[in-house]
Amino acid sequence: MDARDRHHPLDFLTNPERFMAFSSWAAPMFGVIAAVLAGVGLVLTFVAPEDYQQGDTVRMMFIHVPAAVISMFVYLCLGVASFLALVFRHALADAAAVACAPLGAAFTVLALVTGSLWGKPMWGTWWVWDARLTSVLVLLLFYLGYLALRSALEDEQKAARAAAILALVGLINLPIIKFSVEWWNSLHQGSSTLFAKPGDALPAVYAWPMLVMSLAYLSAFGSLWLVRIRALVWRRKARALALQAAEG
Amino acid sequence: MHFDFDAGKYAVYVWPAFALTAAAFVWMIADSLASARRWRREAERLQARRQVQGETQGEAGKP
Repeated sequence: MDARDRHHPLDFLTNPERFMAFSSWAAPMFGVIAAVLAGVGLVLTFVAPEDYQQGDTVRMMFIHVPAAVISMFVYLCLGVASFLALVFRHALADAAAVACAPLGAAFTVLALVTGSLWGKPMWGTWWVWDARLTSVLVLLLFYLGYLALRSALEDEQKAARAAAILALVGLINLPIIKFSVEWWNSLHQGSSTLFAKPGDALPAVYAWPMLVMSLAYLSAFGSLWLVRIRALVWRRKARALALQAAEG
Repeated sequence: MHFDFDAGKYAVYVWPAFALTAAAFVWMIADSLASARRWRREAERLQARRQVQGETQGEAGKP
């Protein structure tokens, strides 16, 4: 077997042609998984009993917590993709970074808005400048700053480099968000997920809908991320062809 | 199995949260698919034009 015929197992993430072949079936597959999980998650959401303290607002947990968790996960993806683009100059890594930023911003807006709608009846206020809420707002500003920087500079390579550095700086905000409720006094409750301390963990009747909805959000992000990277690969191809045509 | 869609006095908070979530997902899906479709068509259009130009030049170059 010729050495050129041997492919690295992760080639489909670095070679545009292999990525397009992989994503052509992976994107719809993740989309279908997301739709099925969202259907099951919504059923579990509306058959869950009212909480004895929070009443029906407890159902907002099943859309708020997944949005908050995925908004941080997407930023981690943005940081890793930016690092790979900056250090190894992978064109696909740069496309992956650009593609996930608008999705991450949307999930962060959802986390903030659904949190605010949950906070008003439970805390008596739409917003408070405490560490958790403020650090999530900072996360949104990092997403918006990244997108603004990408579109502000005409030189795409310079814009990509500057935005990648900003994305890497923003990674410091992730542990701040995660541990903000432990490091500072906060209105926001601490972790009550499956990984919480014994006694703090959610009962199964609330943990299942949250877990299923989180997996639905994750699959939806996976699908949409792949679709957006595919769009950027085609855009790059179209621009290269347009340039060739202009040069005659 | 009993579905509880009556959020009572909290309906004014619960339903907008679900509606905004649905709207955000609709936007993410529509924007992603529209962008992919647009650039795919553009790339295919330019590719086809290049092919036609290549064939025309090939015909013109024949003795």
